[in-house]
Amino acid sequence: MEALGLRDDMGDKSAIAAQNSLQLIAFSIGEQTYGVEITTVREIRAWDGATPLPNTREFVRGVINLRGTIVPIFDLRARFGDGKTSPTKNHVVVVMSVGDKWVGILVDAVSDILTVSKDDIHVVPEGNSVDTELLNGIVTHDGRMVGLIDLHAVVSGAKMDA
Amino acid sequence: MSDLDDFKATYFDECSELLNELEEQFSAIEAGERDADRLNAVFRAIHSVKGGAGAFGFSALVGFAHAYETLLDYVRDGRIEMSDDVVTLCIRANDIVADHVKAAQTGEALPADYGMEEKDRFDALARGERGGSDDDEGGEPMDAFDIEFVPVMVKLGGDEAEADEAEADDAFDAPPMQVEPGHWEIRFTPHRALYARANDPLLLFRELAVLGDMHVRAVLEEMPSLAEFEPFAVYCSWEITLVSPSVTEAMIREVFEFVDGDCDIAIAQLGAAAGFDIPEPVVAAKPAPKPVVLTADSDPADLLALADDEVANLLDFSRDSDVAVVPKADFTPEPELAPVTVQDTFEEAPGLSFAELAETIAPSPVAKPPVQTAAVTPLRAAAPAASSDGEESSGGSRNVGVQSIRVDLDKVDRVVNMVGELVITQSMLTQQMDETLRARYTELVRGLEVLAQTTRGLQDSVMAIRAQPVKSVFSRMPRLVRELATKTGKKIKLETIGENTEIDKTVIEQLSDPLTHMVRNSADHGIETPDKRLARGKSEIGTIRLSAEQAGGNILIIVEDDGGGINRERVLQVARDKGVVAPDVNPTDEQIDQLIFAPGFSTASEVSDISGRGVGMDVVLSNIKKIGGSVHVRSWTGKGTRMTLRLPLTLAVLDVMLVKVGVSPYVVPLSSIVETIQCSRAAFERVPSGGQVLQVRGEYVQVIDLAQRFDMPSETDPENRFVVLCEAEGSAKVALIVDGIIGQQQVVIKSLEENFERVDGIAGGTILGDGNVALIVDVQGLKTTMVHKNAA
Repeated sequence: MEALGLRDDMGDKSAIAAQNSLQLIAFSIGEQTYGVEITTVREIRAWDGATPLPNTREFVRGVINLRGTIVPIFDLRARFGDGKTSPTKNHVVVVMSVGDKWVGILVDAVSDILTVSKDDIHVVPEGNSVDTELLNGIVTHDGRMVGLIDLHAVVSGAKMDA
Repeated sequence: MSDLDDFKATYFDECSELLNELEEQFSAIEAGERDADRLNAVFRAIHSVKGGAGAFGFSALVGFAHAYETLLDYVRDGRIEMSDDVVTLCIRANDIVADHVKAAQTGEALPADYGMEEKDRFDALARGERGGSDDDEGGEPMDAFDIEFVPVMVKLGGDEAEADEAEADDAFDAPPMQVEPGHWEIRFTPHRALYARANDPLLLFRELAVLGDMHVRAVLEEMPSLAEFEPFAVYCSWEITLVSPSVTEAMIREVFEFVDGDCDIAIAQLGAAAGFDIPEPVVAAKPAPKPVVLTADSDPADLLALADDEVANLLDFSRDSDVAVVPKADFTPEPELAPVTVQDTFEEAPGLSFAELAETIAPSPVAKPPVQTAAVTPLRAAAPAASSDGEESSGGSRNVGVQSIRVDLDKVDRVVNMVGELVITQSMLTQQMDETLRARYTELVRGLEVLAQTTRGLQDSVMAIRAQPVKSVFSRMPRLVRELATKTGKKIKLETIGENTEIDKTVIEQLSDPLTHMVRNSADHGIETPDKRLARGKSEIGTIRLSAEQAGGNILIIVEDDGGGINRERVLQVARDKGVVAPDVNPTDEQIDQLIFAPGFSTASEVSDISGRGVGMDVVLSNIKKIGGSVHVRSWTGKGTRMTLRLPLTLAVLDVMLVKVGVSPYVVPLSSIVETIQCSRAAFERVPSGGQVLQVRGEYVQVIDLAQRFDMPSETDPENRFVVLCEAEGSAKVALIVDGIIGQQQVVIKSLEENFERVDGIAGGTILGDGNVALIVDVQGLKTTMVHKNAA
């Protein structure tokens, strides 16, 4: 019984640790590193072109065929207002689930998988509305700043007239 | 619990089908087709509804359905004439049944006296026709209703004999009882002591039946009048005829061994049984009855179960002595002799009248019939000989049910999607074969051709699974029209044509609401009141015609009425008032007609509870557009209105033309394409807005440059571009300019909205053979947005 109790205790501890930490997929756009929670990522694939969608905002790069499903691709650089990415074969599309939809995010490269503590997430400083709108928070990893992407915000407002 | 919920869900599914069936049957009956088949179908449907309702304890529904069923029963056997009154009453009753079902489904309570009036009329009709002699059946109170299962096996007591006799007659009436070899007459007269020791004649008879073909008659002559009847006295005896060449008197006596002394038994053999010297092994192989007899004093319940087993086993045994005996008997038959004997028995026994047995054996006397066959025989003999009509009916419908299966639509959808993918892959493979490859790999090419054929066939078959006759939607309309006619005081006749036209189930599901609105609109706004009609020199009865037909890759559904037509001045006035049409625009008559589909548009001066809430016709348009269809309305003042729905045959696969806009592939639904023209040969004209129109055979057509519209830089020499002339709603044409035409193909429609959102001018996406996504041009949408821009 005692052994069992001990194990339970340990289980609780590790559960707390798991609850408190966050695994991120980190990717880069230019010099900057951003991250999304690993559980939302469905697939990472190389850029292979997309069919452009008319009447949509600049940052909607088009749609791709993901095993028979049509998935829209968002250009994260363009979404941040830094102009459209000129993608090469080395660019990467991170396919993620946002709500019940699947979307692809075009980034320069995927760099790492990071484990961070939730306690280390900082609030995005007020200032530029683009930052506060598109980022959920900021964490520090190896002395570098990693912006946590708010996917819902990224994919919203894709329509021309929106 | 969840099981029960599942059953309930299935029951309600069935109910809705059955109610549809009722509607269908009654529209035919109403039209004068009063044959027995229709009536039987109605009866079956009501009976099934009632049966399920009884099982789930929906007593109000059961009560009403039962009264209704009783009426139908009388109509069916001619005791009540199927007059128009009765038909009307029945139609009303269908509605009440539907309401009861709905109440049961949603758990809402209907007023306690709901449908009572009709129920009383059923009873009155039933009584009236039957001279009030035994009206308790017609007006049977519902709590007394039971679900006609008669467990005959458990029935014990003196009336057994009659039942047995009836069964025996039923089962063996084919071969008349002649005096034959191996024919035994047994007179069995039990004493009081037999019953006192808890013996049961039925069990004895069962054992006897194992020995051969048995016929039992109860002798009831000694039965006194009721006044002299003594409850514990024994008045009944039996005469048993047993036909079996292999039975000896000893075997029969063995059956009665345990009641010996408690009854009188007289056994006599008739005919020339002596000629049949029973071979020794057979006799030896007959201790099988023993186990049964040995247990005759044990617990009756066990006994019954055991007896059933034994009957099955022993019947089997009588054909193959090897099998059944071994586990039960302490005797092992001589293996090499037994089978031979069995065969002999059959060949030498012309009097053997086990009809079923003989049938089973006849093709191959040596072959051992499956055990189930044997088991069925006693069951049949034990089954209630005369089940009620209702039971038979539901049995009949069950048989029909076997011919179709209920499959979750999701499963079918999955297959449809997979087949769609397969078609695409196949066309991709075919496209990969260029001329050099074709020349080199002739076998491969042949294989691909077969593959193409097979996939196409597979696709057609799969689509056929999901296809359903539009009847399922049309059948709801007669009721609607009836209700509307009653409410508005109009006289309306509904005609349906082509209700067997099949459309994909997914389309049908989307069709119900729009069609309801359209029919409602016709009845409420189209058809005039009887006096108005007469004043206009028309027949008092207005007609709404509902028709469905296949036209190429489309289904046309037409709702036509011979009413007053659209009041164009009013429509235009309302449209201007509501700002739908700008004051300076003068639309053509046809354009005015289309205005009734504009959102929030309603011309009805008063809002009735039927239609005119300002939603409705725009819902029709949006619903139909959602499934890739179009609506067109045409009206003739004073003569009527015709609304045409054009629907795709299926939502899954689309025949398209693959075109190039800028550098991107786009597809245009082939069904909307009229023709393609090279730009160098097209006659463009400029219009003041700076845009272009195209003249085609004297008609000026709006031009949309897709590259410009979609903001895709066109690098093609204008002379080499193409005009794709398309037909949008209401045969309005629109000319799309594209940068190239790649070819025709079939595509599977994919939703953009699934992972993204709706994009103007795009109806969806599709995946091409090379894996890339092509967008589907929304011809109607493009035209509409252009019109709006012009209006603004």
